[in-house]
Amino acid sequence: MHLLGTELLEAREILPGQWLQTYHAPELATGSRAGQFVHVRTGDLSGLVLRRPFSIHTLDAATGTITIHFRTVGRGTEWFTHLRPGDNVDMLGPLGRPFEVDPRSQHLLLIAGGLGMAGVRALADEAIRAGRQVTLLFGAASARDVYPTSLLPDEVEYVVATDDGSMGHHGFVTDLLPRYEAWADQAFACGPEPMLQALARLAATRRSRMGVAKLGRKRGAGKGHAVGSPLARRKAFLQVSMEQRMGCAIGACLGCVVMATSGVPQRVCREGPVFASEEIDWEGAWGR
Amino acid sequence: MKAKRRVVTNSGGSTTAHRSSTLRRQRTSNALTSMGCKDSAVDMTTPRRGDATGRETVATADVDLSVDLGRGLVLPNPIMVASGTFGYGVEYGDVVDVDRLGGICCKGTTLRSRIGNPTPRVAETPGGMLNSIGLQNPGVDAVIAKYASTWEGWRVPVIVNVAGESVADYVEVVKRLDGIPGVAGIELNISCPNVGRGGLQFAIDADAAAGVTAAVRRATDLPLLVKLSPNVADIRPIARAIADAGADALTAINTLSGIAVGGSRQKPLLGNIYGGLSGPAIKPVALRIVYEVCQVVAIPVIAIGGITDIDDVLDFLAVGAVAVQVGTAIFADPTLPVRLVAELEGACRSGGFASYVPFVGTALPKRPSSPSSKGVEYRP
Ligand SMILES: Cc1cc2nc3c(=O)[nH]c(=O)nc-3n(C[C@H](O)[C@H](O)[C@H](O)COP(=O)(O)O)c2cc1C
Ligand code: FES
Repeated sequence: MHLLGTELLEAREILPGQWLQTYHAPELATGSRAGQFVHVRTGDLSGLVLRRPFSIHTLDAATGTITIHFRTVGRGTEWFTHLRPGDNVDMLGPLGRPFEVDPRSQHLLLIAGGLGMAGVRALADEAIRAGRQVTLLFGAASARDVYPTSLLPDEVEYVVATDDGSMGHHGFVTDLLPRYEAWADQAFACGPEPMLQALARLAATRRSRMGVAKLGRKRGAGKGHAVGSPLARRKAFLQVSMEQRMGCAIGACLGCVVMATSGVPQRVCREGPVFASEEIDWEGAWGR
Repeated sequence: MKAKRRVVTNSGGSTTAHRSSTLRRQRTSNALTSMGCKDSAVDMTTPRRGDATGRETVATADVDLSVDLGRGLVLPNPIMVASGTFGYGVEYGDVVDVDRLGGICCKGTTLRSRIGNPTPRVAETPGGMLNSIGLQNPGVDAVIAKYASTWEGWRVPVIVNVAGESVADYVEVVKRLDGIPGVAGIELNISCPNVGRGGLQFAIDADAAAGVTAAVRRATDLPLLVKLSPNVADIRPIARAIADAGADALTAINTLSGIAVGGSRQKPLLGNIYGGLSGPAIKPVALRIVYEVCQVVAIPVIAIGGITDIDDVLDFLAVGAVAVQVGTAIFADPTLPVRLVAELEGACRSGGFASYVPFVGTALPKRPSSPSSKGVEYRP
């Protein structure tokens, strides 16, 4: 992990209020993996004292660039939209732990809700480069919030659900899971917590519902490894990228925790943001 | 009894040049001695008229930033990092050379492990942030097992920030830290609910604060820092009581109590409802408290609260602090504390000083000023 001076190359409003920015950051472009994030400093003139965490949306080693994808939700994100190409931005990264794909997994199911696209998008590229098949289920409130197909690799099968039915499936993206879970070797999700919780519940009952254990995984697979260990993730059917308000993003302040099934709160910035779904306590009231 | 004023001021209308040459001649004692409580410290900076020929630039090697906080705790420089913002010192290892810091106060440590408060735990606020971590930590034994040997290998002194819910808790934690190589000192976080007194914080009551300080003092010979809470009407009797109970130094301030409202405005934002405000927004409060405390105690005072640049450091020195801690600003700029060390050295050099003593206490009044609790707008 480094403190880096990066340069904004391009900024585009890809959807109303949603931005895609490309930064020249060779160290991040070559040294990061899908699922990791950067902690970006805002201009301090505005009195904003905290950096903003952004998933690395895509990374391109050849051009030494990364992209971030965000919605303007407050003064911090607003500040980023005023940047112009050529402006320098201070980034800390790459941070956190990446998605871990089991080497035997051929069919990857990616599930994103809204801005959760930013969390799983890089994995689609990574998987296709490795010759895997990718289906991406995407949920949004309505058609105007749907991530443009043109920004996805052609190889990805893209399935959309909207809450109001204005595009694709009328309903939640989680409704689509049963149709794909038999096909999928592993699933990777990022989005609002209720969505992740619904997926985690489906994943937990998957084995009994389907009566098969994929990839020779035994009952309770994913347990028995330290929380946050790569092996715990690699063995899990469902990996989730969690979101939490952050202070340091480096593991020092304990501001960003989520409750784990182990009973000890885990740092999203350090043990996460990607967790095996079994590692998270989805049912407890703590922090909800 | 009111303690003697512990500074190092501009008395006598001296020029900086006078003081600088005095300092250079007197560099036999290297570290700033526990300032103010020893006459030598005052001597060090008492201007001698007519002995200066002019301002000279002090060579790099001549600037001594070390500071002696008493009981053998000598910081290599006065720029420390504040508890809770720098973990156990290891987390920022990739981007910060910790050995260039003046001292590290680690995350609040309790007798048994604590899972801390429910989330959300942090929220940005205008010019600052609220936090309600709730002292999540693995407990003192695990902290020692995990980090002490690393700390022992560092040049930078690591001071363990200790929290508890009863005097017995504090004493037990400190006893376990006593004699552990790598532990350079104790900072008592007394902004904790005292279960024995119906949950009132130790920090808001002079007797309770002095009680826990005295008990810990009896339990250890480690250097003992006690951290003041700003959430009181008058800090001076509390500071005095803690000093009289045997603290080696005071640190001030801890966070200010506050809340934020959640997005839907149906409830407060933080999982714990209440959080502690930190960052630039609290600097004037911290300055006021350091200013008041420095006028009533003879032990060193370490300032904390909203420091983001060298001017902030110099402001706190001016109101009597002998060292500072940087907290929230580290989140935006992890390299800030190390840079401040260099900048303080630069400030000494361009002032022609061999140490930063000439910056200390310059804004303190000649006579004790009336306390803020007497009213701000309408003075008696
Ligand atoms: C996230 C966070 C955690 C903190 N944890 C502790 C703690 O465990 N013990 C303590 O004495 N102070 C704690 N503090 C208070 C700081 O040490 C410091 O007193 C305060 O933040 C004011 O300084 P600043 O404005 O430079 O941040 C914490 C502050 C923050 C922001
Ligand atoms: S944001 Fe500070 S520990 Fe994760």
